[in-house]
Amino acid sequence: MSKVFPKWSNTLPLKVIVFAFVSVTTLLAGITYYVTPKYTRVGYEPSQPVPYDHEFHVSELGLDCRYCHDKVDESPVANIPSASTCMNCHSMVKTDSPLLEPIRESYASGEPVAWNRVHQVPDYVYFSHEAHVNRGVSCVDCHGRVDEMPVVKHAESHSMGWCLDCHRHPEEVLRPIDEVYNLGWEHPGGKKGQIEYGLQAIEERNITPPQSCTGCHR
Amino acid sequence: MKRAPHPHPSSSELSGPRYWRSLDDLAQTPEFLSQVEREFGPEASEMNEVDRRHFFKIMAASFALGGIGFAGCRRPESHILPHSKAPEHQVPGEPLYYATGFSLRGETLPLLVETHTGRPTKIEGNADHPGYKGGTTRKAQAAVLDLYDPDRATAHTKNGSKISNAEVSDLLASLKDDFAANDGAGAAVLMESSSSPTRLRLKKAFQAAYPKALWVEYDAVSVSNAAAAAAKVASSANLQPKYDLSHASRILSVDADFLDEEQGSVKFSKQFASGRRVRSSKDDMSRLYSVESNFSITGGMADHRKRLASSQMTAFLAAFALELELGVEGNRLRPILEPLAAKLDADTREWVAQCAEDLASHKGRSVVFTGQHLPPETQALGLLVNEKLGGLGKTVSLVEVDSGDSSSLADLAAAIDSGAISKLVISGGNPVYNAPADLDFAGLLQKVDTVVRLGYYADETSEASTYHLCEAHFLEAWGDGRTYDGDVVAQQPMILPLFDGVSEIELLGGLLGETDSDGYSLVYATFQSGNGNPGKRAFDKFLNEGFVASGYRKSRSNISGVALADWLGGFSAPAAPSGKESLEVRFLNDATVDDGRYANNGWLQECPDPMTKLTWDNAIVISPRLAKDLGIVAPNSMIQVARKNPNKVRDGRQFAKVATIKVGGREITGAIHIQPGLDNYTVILPLGYGRSKTGRIGANSGFSAYGIRSLDATAFASGASIGLTGETYQLANTQEHWSMEGRAIVREVNLDDYAADPDFVSSVGMESHSPPIYGKKGDKFSTQEKITETPRGGSIYEHPNFTGVHQWGMSIDLNVCTGCNACVIACQSENNIPIVGRDQVRRGREMHWIRLDRYFSSGLANDEIPEDPQVSLQPVACMHCETAPCETVCPVNATVHDEEGLNAMAYNRCIGTRYCANNCPYKVRRFNFFDYQERQLDKLYLGPLAPKGMPELVKMAQNPDVSIRMRGVMEKCTFCVQRINQAKIDQLSKAKDGSDVRVPDGVIQMACEQACPTDAIVFGDLKDSDSRVSVLRDNERSYSVLGYLNTRPRTTFMARIRNPNPKMPDYFDQPLSKVEYKAKAPKSPYGTTAHDAPGHGEAHAKEGGRH
Repeated sequence: MSKVFPKWSNTLPLKVIVFAFVSVTTLLAGITYYVTPKYTRVGYEPSQPVPYDHEFHVSELGLDCRYCHDKVDESPVANIPSASTCMNCHSMVKTDSPLLEPIRESYASGEPVAWNRVHQVPDYVYFSHEAHVNRGVSCVDCHGRVDEMPVVKHAESHSMGWCLDCHRHPEEVLRPIDEVYNLGWEHPGGKKGQIEYGLQAIEERNITPPQSCTGCHR
Repeated sequence: MKRAPHPHPSSSELSGPRYWRSLDDLAQTPEFLSQVEREFGPEASEMNEVDRRHFFKIMAASFALGGIGFAGCRRPESHILPHSKAPEHQVPGEPLYYATGFSLRGETLPLLVETHTGRPTKIEGNADHPGYKGGTTRKAQAAVLDLYDPDRATAHTKNGSKISNAEVSDLLASLKDDFAANDGAGAAVLMESSSSPTRLRLKKAFQAAYPKALWVEYDAVSVSNAAAAAAKVASSANLQPKYDLSHASRILSVDADFLDEEQGSVKFSKQFASGRRVRSSKDDMSRLYSVESNFSITGGMADHRKRLASSQMTAFLAAFALELELGVEGNRLRPILEPLAAKLDADTREWVAQCAEDLASHKGRSVVFTGQHLPPETQALGLLVNEKLGGLGKTVSLVEVDSGDSSSLADLAAAIDSGAISKLVISGGNPVYNAPADLDFAGLLQKVDTVVRLGYYADETSEASTYHLCEAHFLEAWGDGRTYDGDVVAQQPMILPLFDGVSEIELLGGLLGETDSDGYSLVYATFQSGNGNPGKRAFDKFLNEGFVASGYRKSRSNISGVALADWLGGFSAPAAPSGKESLEVRFLNDATVDDGRYANNGWLQECPDPMTKLTWDNAIVISPRLAKDLGIVAPNSMIQVARKNPNKVRDGRQFAKVATIKVGGREITGAIHIQPGLDNYTVILPLGYGRSKTGRIGANSGFSAYGIRSLDATAFASGASIGLTGETYQLANTQEHWSMEGRAIVREVNLDDYAADPDFVSSVGMESHSPPIYGKKGDKFSTQEKITETPRGGSIYEHPNFTGVHQWGMSIDLNVCTGCNACVIACQSENNIPIVGRDQVRRGREMHWIRLDRYFSSGLANDEIPEDPQVSLQPVACMHCETAPCETVCPVNATVHDEEGLNAMAYNRCIGTRYCANNCPYKVRRFNFFDYQERQLDKLYLGPLAPKGMPELVKMAQNPDVSIRMRGVMEKCTFCVQRINQAKIDQLSKAKDGSDVRVPDGVIQMACEQACPTDAIVFGDLKDSDSRVSVLRDNERSYSVLGYLNTRPRTTFMARIRNPNPKMPDYFDQPLSKVEYKAKAPKSPYGTTAHDAPGHGEAHAKEGGRH
């Protein structure tokens, strides 16, 4: 009686197992890396109709965040400035720059400038800037060093797990209220000093970041 | 020791008042019993028209389609469009509020409207107004949906084809020239009544400019009879009686639904509630008597209620007057009144006598409220009675209301008939649909050369007109109006007219050729001329506050009994209706669609009628006695619905028999609904349905009762007959859904029993039989301990940790809730709740987060037809149980508790198992069986292939602070979590680096709470022992519904108190519900029923809570 199975088939089960293991691992690793907000969002850097340079305006000219995003501390949304805000200066400075043409056009015609959205939370998430900046969470904690970005890009993942990390350990980011818009501020005591300061702030300010659904989902 | 399982109570041991939600429930028919056992009714959980196989076919197809292309993998690009120049006051992301006013039949409600980026989204009452105090009605709440109605008129037309705005201006200019050429001869203007000072100013200018023109005012539901009465019996003209219940301790309502449909109902609700809001057993409480033909909300609140045909109200008031001291006028009045009063039977005379004695003993603090539909003679009698009760100038005042001179619709009809009218301008209203049938208004319009119609919808009247001009919504147009008491309310727009609509005053301004005929200028000019030119700042203040508390001027006129006697001398009251061949029909504006003007408003169409609980259709509402006479009651059952086949009983589907009503040679056909509590031979016909030309929502709903309404009998008509056609029709009724099986849901007591036993709520209901809920027997806990430490009691579940800064809770006072449904619409508007359509309501799938349960109790044994039931109403929304049964069964943790006691619903986690809805004892969870928000309601069963149905326009009505739920997701009341979060965030912004993060009491108002005209709902922080809600929860009347289940609801109710008069012939020793409960309690061997023994609850407590 001839052999039903050739000899090479002896190693087949092992090969199948190894192949399955490798491919599943690769797939999982791929998904973990490529299909989560850490990959899909971080680094997103669309070009804008007007190449507004945050680094120049903030670091070199010293504009405060709230000069343009003036409603950030009284509204859930940090508003994008209207053309009239830009024209406060640019009616006198660089009045004929071709780069500023869309702004001048919008100011004259009343049609809005269509800025590309960089940071976006899903529709079922109700994030409030007001609740964070007024209580000692800085812009930098979610948006990164915008003051060092010539073109704004997505710095953090903004995933739900990322939100919750901070809501569970607010001591890591809490800072004095008047340093909220100072993106370069760091606690002079380093990491340890920050934690100590943060724990004290939690106590003093009665900080209880919501960790349940109703905090963000309505 | 093993604990014995808690047995399900048999029907004979139900330890609480027994209520029945329908006659089927009362009769316990087998169909009904099988239905309640199913919890959701057969069709609420089954697919229809699509079988399983077909479903998978479609699924496969949609998966295949979904796989084509990788469009979903790319990050969608989206844009932010800031303003070019930032407008003042507007903060992106924050709502902006404007004061304005909502007018209906000459009464304007002061409002505050929430707008998001320039679009109005939510209507609320203006809490600053001293009379209305922020209360609203369901109709006002729903008005915002009309603004975004895709079926509203969107263009000006001439004979059906579109014309431009310039052509409209030319038309108005040419009309003006025509009118001016011959002093207005041949011209007529037809409008609805209005209290707007600007319209009055323009009306007078119009009449001065065109003296020969005819100015006609017509309301489908007339409110002018009271003024006609006052004109006859009070010496000076232009007087109207205005009621004030703030100091009324004895109220008699004569066919008046003053808590709901009468003018000023919001104000009366507030005042009535303050007289009924008992906080301790020592408090005084007002008493309400009601005599009526319909079963109204006011009748439901009454302590004594008498059923009587509307035509007999004159006799009733005559008999009432005879019981009072008539003084010198008595000699003239008695011979006139006695023959009238003689028409009443002896029982009614006795009722009147005792009622009159009670009112007379509260001189100056009692009031007789006469229904606005009653004839002027009856109204005049009402005025006389109030004067004799010492109420004139106190509870009723005659005020001077200048509304100018106008002609009646009959005058107009005569003028058109004689060929005298060649140009007719119709503004508002819908006379072709709702004019009395004997006028044949559509036929009359054909005799007029040019008919110009200003209307919000292109409706029946527009069809018969030459020109249709589209009217601006009140949220788009400038205007003004007066409240019930005459305060002038500003009506300011918050959005430009979406379709170039013009307002009524702008139309009049155009006809007058005013140079500044835009709405703002007209209103501004009226304000300046009416207040002595106070300037722009005063006007801005007026807009900012929303009203000027000017009020009507009170008159010192007296009521002349002699004049009344002379007038009544020739009055012959019609005979009482006596059988199915001599019925009386009463025409009522519908509780939701009114006189037909809201027929295309989906929120109102789907809002259940407060008493019949019918949606989407009207019905011929008849009494059980008449039903019996007609032979439509099945043997051994008192079913309200006439069934062709008993097996076809379905939840929400009322297989109603169709009948024809004949009166005066005309007839209409409609479905029958049997309603206990009506006058035996009065048939109620709600107006406003059966529209022949309206939008998609209002089409094919109900029948038009206008078809048998004649000019001489617009409120009620006698001599009607009824006959069955043999057909049936399926009405959509929310009444029998989610029956609570007669447990102690609404608890009631009489005022004197309450004084004797303030702790009565704990002696009814299963709690007296169940193990102690909190701790061990005898333990005492404060509310704050109960809600945070939650002593375990007998619960096997772990509690969530209630560590939040606040602990939210709600208290609902059943003693003042009238059941008006304003909260239902307010919630729908605030929380983006979809409408589901007639077909889905028939399957029991309505989506309202808050519902009004309406229970009847008759005190009778089951084998008699109840004719005089008491009604108990209870608003039910998610109770936010601390040990929520829904949470323990959710397989995906989609419903969980938060730290502040909210039972949260995470829509994105929900996979739609509906286990939670099955496990909820209150049946408050709502499931999205379809994409109600996105698909057309008539094509839902095509699933994903159905055309997308929600027009962009309707989306504008949505609240951006609340997620839109998709198909397959459970939803329910969230305690308006968006409002809670906004208030908390505002408080955080104020606190900065301080520690004061607690939201002060009263800052957060739920949508239902805000809308409530009686302030029955109070929301707040239970952790704060001084908050309003904590105080109410600590009140002795406070109880939890189904508390014995140990669900520990955060919403508690306050028991209802009835205040009957022991001298009345229909006095009841205990609320009828309790009588029934006692009748069903098991007899004890010692001769008394077990639950009758004093200190019943106490006895159980001593036994350790075990029976």
